[in-house]
Amino acid sequence: MPEPVVEPTIFSEAPDEAIRLAVRRVMDEQSVSDLEGLELDTVIVNMGPQHPSTHGVLRLVVTLDGELIRDVIPVIGYLHRCKEKLAEKRTYYQYIPIVDRTEYLASMNCEWGYVMTVEKLAGIRPTRRAEFIRVIVGELMRIASHQVAVGTFVADLAPLGTAMAFYTFRDRERILDLLEAVSGARMMFNYFRFGGVRFDLPDGWVERCREVLADLPRHFDEYENLVNDNAIFLQRCVGKGVITQQDVVDYAITGPNARASGVAIDLRRTRPYSVYPGLDFDICLGEHGDVYDRYKVRVDEMRQSVNIVSQCLDMLPRGPVQLGTLRAPYTITPPPGSAYVGQENPRGEYGTYIVSDGSRYPYRLKFRDPCFINLQLFPKVLRGVKIADAIAISGSFDMVLGGIDR
Amino acid sequence: MEEIGERLAAAFGDELGDLRVQEPDTLVCRVARERLHDVAQRLKELPELGYPTCNWVAGVDYTTHLESVYHLYSWSSNSYLEIHVEIPRDAAVCDSVCDLFPAANWHEREAWDMVGIRYKGHPDLRRILLKDDFVGHPLRKDYVDLIENHPHA
Repeated sequence: MPEPVVEPTIFSEAPDEAIRLAVRRVMDEQSVSDLEGLELDTVIVNMGPQHPSTHGVLRLVVTLDGELIRDVIPVIGYLHRCKEKLAEKRTYYQYIPIVDRTEYLASMNCEWGYVMTVEKLAGIRPTRRAEFIRVIVGELMRIASHQVAVGTFVADLAPLGTAMAFYTFRDRERILDLLEAVSGARMMFNYFRFGGVRFDLPDGWVERCREVLADLPRHFDEYENLVNDNAIFLQRCVGKGVITQQDVVDYAITGPNARASGVAIDLRRTRPYSVYPGLDFDICLGEHGDVYDRYKVRVDEMRQSVNIVSQCLDMLPRGPVQLGTLRAPYTITPPPGSAYVGQENPRGEYGTYIVSDGSRYPYRLKFRDPCFINLQLFPKVLRGVKIADAIAISGSFDMVLGGIDR
Repeated sequence: MEEIGERLAAAFGDELGDLRVQEPDTLVCRVARERLHDVAQRLKELPELGYPTCNWVAGVDYTTHLESVYHLYSWSSNSYLEIHVEIPRDAAVCDSVCDLFPAANWHEREAWDMVGIRYKGHPDLRRILLKDDFVGHPLRKDYVDLIENHPHA
């Protein structure tokens, strides 16, 4: 007669769906154990929501078998700020600063995506100078965002990585200074407007930008010299957390995470917008899709972004930075309909889907956030790896919880 | 884009209703609720022009009815297909496409959480952004925020 399965009472009473689910899966697994004859001894651990390596309030309910991860259940929503609900009672114009706060490490790019969608709905075309300024600030933001990604990722891996975080944040500071000079803010810019941008570049800004751009490649070399040949770093990165090309297709992975797997998807090229068709840059690809490739692709992309910004500074035309008609009233009423525009954020395709009913408020607004979607792949990639590698893998995914939870 | 539209129309006929091009690279169509899973499967496996990636899913409340919007991506033609599925408000149930597109999993959970569309066949239809014990679906247009909706607030 088989022994009755005893549920661990301490967990089954927890008022928490995720833990209950984890327990249920453990029970299911015990009946079909692949370790025949061995007794399973699993432990369910909460990683987060306040865990330093998750870079935000992400909670992972991890089922451990010794050091091996058997199962991961991500729990999100700790940073949910009802962004999509807020859109119902804000005019299109009033909503711009709220978009900043979704994926806060790449606010410029998020605003850009939102503004492009509204422009598509309303049939507005931004001025040519504004297009170039958008590319410039967007690519500067991409560098700053990748610097945070690389810096914090390496800092998680090894003690020497803390130096990396210092290096990247030191250089990011200069980029934020540039963006501050343009927009007046350092993180929540509120800079994009329908049909253009809020302010023109201040006097002397182009020269300052060129100085920073001249220094940046040297700094990137510094990052790479610090870790690229480091044995500990390589051992923790190479071959770990592989995302296959099939995963990219199945899970709609975008951005550096997809490109590290050798999938050449970059909306700046595959679905070109703004003035990107006229700019010369490469799509950076990895080969193996492991943690190391994701790190490498990010560093390479920073170099490409420097390249793009300097091209834009050379080509920057004169003219207005906003459509004159839109400056005063600040209200915009797109015709009824829906539109979706995907935009290449530092983390992947950041899309905005807007349904308009012809009023001043968006009827329904939905963000397609790259981190939200990349995080879905987490359980698949983490299953079967050692818990120490989970830190490296989660760092290399580069998640921003503000975007995931919205 | 016109050509892709014609090929889809030839393969599916009436099943893709109101097929139209939305510049620059999206085809928009309607699919009946009962046909959704079948159509999605055939779209995914369509020779030459397959749509193997589900970019996102959104639930929309149009007050008269609900709508589930699917955004599929075709790698071979580098184009998108937006499928609108009409769902009656009083029976807000729709087939899940999770088994075809793993990416749809969390989006469907989000649409359930926010708009209250119940996806039949979804492996794990829990709330995702709101708390487990939250009451109601806030992105429905008739949602009223009461303190009783937040049991542990």
